[in-house]
Amino acid sequence: MIVVIGSRHDSVAAALIDAWPDAALCSAEDLTQPGWVWRPDSPLSPRWVINSEVVDDKDITGVFVRRSAVYPEEFLSTHPDDRSYLAAEAHAFLIFVLAATRAVVVNPVADGALGEEAIRPERWIPAAGEAGLSVSPLRLTSRRRRPRQLHPIVVEVVGDEAFGSAPVRSTAAALRMARQLDLLWATVVFDGRHRLLTITSARPPGTEAVGALGRLLAAPLRA
Amino acid sequence: MILIWGPSDDPPVERTVSILRARGIDLVHVDESVLATLRYDVTLGATPTGWIETSDRKVRVDELTGIYVRPGELLPGPARTASTALLGIASCAPAIVVNRPSAGRSNWSKPFQLRLIAAAGFTVPDTLVTTDPAAAHAFLAEHKRVVYKSVSGVRSIVATLSADTDRLHAVGTGPVQFQRWIDGGDVRVHVVGDRWFATAIDSVVDDYRYASRDGADVAMAAMEIPNELGKRLVGLTQRMGLLVSGIDLRVTENNEWFCFEVNPSPGFTFYEDATGQPIAEAIADLLARGLPNV
Repeated sequence: MIVVIGSRHDSVAAALIDAWPDAALCSAEDLTQPGWVWRPDSPLSPRWVINSEVVDDKDITGVFVRRSAVYPEEFLSTHPDDRSYLAAEAHAFLIFVLAATRAVVVNPVADGALGEEAIRPERWIPAAGEAGLSVSPLRLTSRRRRPRQLHPIVVEVVGDEAFGSAPVRSTAAALRMARQLDLLWATVVFDGRHRLLTITSARPPGTEAVGALGRLLAAPLRA
Repeated sequence: MILIWGPSDDPPVERTVSILRARGIDLVHVDESVLATLRYDVTLGATPTGWIETSDRKVRVDELTGIYVRPGELLPGPARTASTALLGIASCAPAIVVNRPSAGRSNWSKPFQLRLIAAAGFTVPDTLVTTDPAAAHAFLAEHKRVVYKSVSGVRSIVATLSADTDRLHAVGTGPVQFQRWIDGGDVRVHVVGDRWFATAIDSVVDDYRYASRDGADVAMAAMEIPNELGKRLVGLTQRMGLLVSGIDLRVTENNEWFCFEVNPSPGFTFYEDATGQPIAEAIADLLARGLPNV
């Protein structure tokens, strides 16, 4: 089974569930439903709640993360005073589950963060340096600036595969960056001077990437 | 040049600033109240460049040799974008940073951090995170007495359950972390660089931080811990990417040490005031280490 971690209002998550066989959504509401049991070092399989059903962790092959946080606004049936606390608790629990599951997680928790929070510039900028790539300067200023004209080159990476019509040089660099950051899925963007502009996992995957992700997430786990 | 980022009325920030100023060390303090009017032009790369400017100081980013990060609540508007720039500096600057922002994130999820602590070789209590009342009942029946606490880094009051089984149905509305009760004495260890300061805490309540709320007393005293344990705690702190930490431990009658949590932004003045341990001085030493002639 493939689990997509996302919101019920996320149309990309819904499309991925339609595209992949035996896939289901784990929503914010599911994170607060009865049935979750996670006990480190226990011989019993941990239990998830997916689409309101209890599922053993051993029955899940892959998890695709479509969120960076759990938001208070997702708990409309909870008293407004309690929503922020519940969202923080659900978010913290999700980080723990994604770090502890035996399933393949795309992308894994890094530095205690998930989704885009796990691929922040402070992580990928030094990694780019280690991978021998130059980085397009990221400027933060309180002054008004004219937007830059960008001519981006986009490469999608899934595991060891790369998709898109980018030059070979960009494709190789994108694969190197993904490996450097332990990312199984990413969109890597370069500027017109072949400098790394950004890395994201939030962009909807293209058709070829959806297929590759489905194969990766459905593959049987090694014993 | 040292950058301090945090509210002036926060005791750890206030004390660190006072000590550095008393030593005549040049610093710029960015209080939360000036964030919205902070001017900056910072370019992030392998080494960040640019400048930040408060109402009375303009500082080049490459001048910064030490940074102390203890921001308050995230503010909206221009203060938020200024915070992003400061976080970028604190993340990438080749300076002594207490602490790098990404290093503190493990504390957002207590069971996630507990895995890191266990992976570092420390003994941690048997833990269950659940929304299943039956699983919570079984865990309580197995251990007889358990602690329940928040899963996230949001501060909560740690409390115990022994026979109060009527309340366990409430776990069905959101995840709760249960831990086997460990009988013993609380010890807080502050690690600063390669130094450590251990405090023994004596209180009859479950969560000594809230003892006054229950009309109870807390007695704290500086204590010695085994040298080997101190070194391991320094190693744990470094392994998490931190330079300063506040580590919560409990030691049993059999001299078995359990590790509960590593706080990446400890409110150390609470302990310093009670014991006289020079924790702020040690942090000032650490921050000043990158300065020439110090």
